[in-house]
Amino acid sequence: MFKKILLATTGSPASFGAARVAFDMAKRYGSEVTIFHVLGVPTKAFSQVVNDVRTGEEVEVDAEYISWVEEELKTTYAKQFAGAENAKIVITTGAPHREILREARNQDSDLIVMGASSGDNVKYHRGYPGSTLQKVAKAARCPVLTVHRESASYWGGFSSILFGTDFSKQAASAFKFALNTARELDCVLTIFHALDISGKVLDQTQIEENLIVARKRIRETYVPLMGDFKNFDIEVWEGAPYVEIVKLAREKQVDLIVMAHHTRELDAEKAKIGSTVEQVIVRANCPVVSVSKPDKV
Amino acid sequence: MPEGILCNKTPIKTDEQLKLTLSDSRGTKYYAEMLELEVDSDALWALVQKTLKSRTKTWLEICAHCGLCAESCFLYQVNGRTPKQVPSYKIQSTLGQIVKKKGKVTNEFMRHCMDVAWSQCTCCNRCGMYCPHGIDMGVMFSYLRGLLYSQGFVPWELKIGSGMHRVYRAQMDVTTEDWVETCEWMAEETEEEWPGLEIPVDKQDADIMYTCNAREPKHYPEDVAEAAILFHVAGENWTVPSEGWEQTSLSMFAGDWECCKDNVQNVYDAIERLNPKRAIGTECGHAHRATVIEGPYWTGRPDGLPPRPYIHYVEWLAEALRTGKLKIDPAKRIKEPVTLQDSCNYVRNQGLKDITREIISYIVEPGFFVEMSPNKEHNYCCGGGGGFNGIGMYREQRNVALRKKMDQILDTGCKLVIAPCHNCWDAIRDLEEEYEIGIRWSFLKPLVIGMLDVPEHMLPKDEE
Ligand code: SF4
Ligand code: SF4
Ligand code: SF4
Repeated sequence: MFKKILLATTGSPASFGAARVAFDMAKRYGSEVTIFHVLGVPTKAFSQVVNDVRTGEEVEVDAEYISWVEEELKTTYAKQFAGAENAKIVITTGAPHREILREARNQDSDLIVMGASSGDNVKYHRGYPGSTLQKVAKAARCPVLTVHRESASYWGGFSSILFGTDFSKQAASAFKFALNTARELDCVLTIFHALDISGKVLDQTQIEENLIVARKRIRETYVPLMGDFKNFDIEVWEGAPYVEIVKLAREKQVDLIVMAHHTRELDAEKAKIGSTVEQVIVRANCPVVSVSKPDKV
Repeated sequence: MPEGILCNKTPIKTDEQLKLTLSDSRGTKYYAEMLELEVDSDALWALVQKTLKSRTKTWLEICAHCGLCAESCFLYQVNGRTPKQVPSYKIQSTLGQIVKKKGKVTNEFMRHCMDVAWSQCTCCNRCGMYCPHGIDMGVMFSYLRGLLYSQGFVPWELKIGSGMHRVYRAQMDVTTEDWVETCEWMAEETEEEWPGLEIPVDKQDADIMYTCNAREPKHYPEDVAEAAILFHVAGENWTVPSEGWEQTSLSMFAGDWECCKDNVQNVYDAIERLNPKRAIGTECGHAHRATVIEGPYWTGRPDGLPPRPYIHYVEWLAEALRTGKLKIDPAKRIKEPVTLQDSCNYVRNQGLKDITREIISYIVEPGFFVEMSPNKEHNYCCGGGGGFNGIGMYREQRNVALRKKMDQILDTGCKLVIAPCHNCWDAIRDLEEEYEIGIRWSFLKPLVIGMLDVPEHMLPKDEE
């Protein structure tokens, strides 16, 4: 299922959690890991100068600099490297989201793992900027797993998965991925829908009714797809979707949240506000996988 | 040492030599070798005699040293109005001397000429409009660059740049396979949101053959996708060539004349091969100058025109908006003060000034467009033209050069700058990074896509 993992990293502490999850998965599931690092965007198309993605400073990219960065990455991940048979480092220049997508496509990766940073430095984050994550999550053909905090409760192995649905087309792909993962890794799968009542005035009976409808809809939509898989439960809560997802995840101590990513908005500023996924990533205590395409699930 | 391994009179012709030159960090070795590079005075003089046309000769002779061109040059303005930056002085003290001394000049002098040619003139052609005799330093500096290039006195990045054109036929290492693959990739990535969208490669007899700037497939392939979206929505029958798709010409700014011709020929061959009704180039300014304005002369086309009508992106866009092929949703028009960067390369070189303003009239809510001052054919270079942007050794000078544009933008009070030319876009980005004046900048394509009134049947059907 995760034969090829692409770990897109800045090498900064903000991405340590992501690295730990990627390497743990690789060891557990025998995956190949590519540690992929984009140095930065060449300041001029044909020049060798890039704005380093970590420091924002201008650096001259030459063989020496590349091998220095490579060494640094090796040192950073020395412990993880020790047990990983199938790990390699790839370093390149360019716009981070483009290069991550390009490499994932070249390698036909099954999973992209990224660190996320919610920082507000607009130019360069210590992790990958929110807009990088947005753009990768939107266009990647494979699921994208994000780890926001080092402390995310993943301790090597998934036993409980939360799938949050809004019944969109993309959610169908996300569900497939959640189900396959749950099956393969033998986890409990919680299928969850949060009835979005933010900004609406509904009376309690209306809410109750809508909850019943949603529950029914989950049954009709997803249960027939599960065949003999019985290890699931269904939850429908009302509230602001991202808050409810995070709350439920905490309550159930899930190790992985799976969601669809389907914001059409590419302007990072605007997308950020609307994106439930992004909010969940920032707040969740566990890794979050976003799925937007049906290909690699 | 007459010629170095990296710095010499031979253009980069092989991948091996290209990689070798590239691996020389910051051109340290390259510039060290340049100190020893011998000037072949006979060859230089022979070249001058063969190529110095009567116009340039006359210009050199009739310059009255009146200095009326001084204020016209933005580099003169931002460099404390030093006499060294007066256009006529810059050319007389370099090209003028080479001619006067019949090519008998020293290595040191040639290096000085290189500094002047690449860091004190961006070939923006503004001075030519202010000289009472119409003397255009931009043209003369392009010529001087050619002489310097032939003797190996060219900045490291531009030697590489033209080498890339020679080896890959693109200013970057984008091969035919990379390019075609990028088109497929972008079509795949975009078709979901734009059902039916295609990026047809090598289609015969299409209405439009689209060409671009290698920077797009290399780092910003969404630019290709955006062009595809707009052609798709406009219902155009279009194609891209697998070969001859790259229309930029760093060789033009490097002074590598042979390579200039070769590249343009490559694009023209694609036109002849695919037989489109017309060709449309991307938003890049210098690419347009190379393929459409200068190209026909380089390749010796008798009518001075490309093989088919070849228009700049702004011309197509204006036409598509005018004829209603593309419709703007009035509610989505830009409703904040916005200004426009006129690219010297298509405004002064081809007069495309009103057409960009026509586009503005469709996409900006009346009352929000603020002109820079001066503007249109009087506009100043972005500060990074003519290769200036990419030359590490002249970074400092380039950063100083950006100040003119910074002041112009600040004076408009706008936070948004429309910069259709790729190089202007880069310069304005650098300007923001260097001086942090809090602006945003954009090409036309993404702006227009964001405000399209898309016919219902073109939208994806699925979503809730
Ligand atoms: S304005 Fe013309 S004639 Fe006068 S100094 Fe300048 S180039 Fe020479
Ligand atoms: S072409 Fe432009 S940069 Fe060069 S001398 Fe004239 S005004 Fe100055
Ligand atoms: S980059 Fe733009 S403004 Fe600058 S010289 Fe070129 S066309 Fe002119």
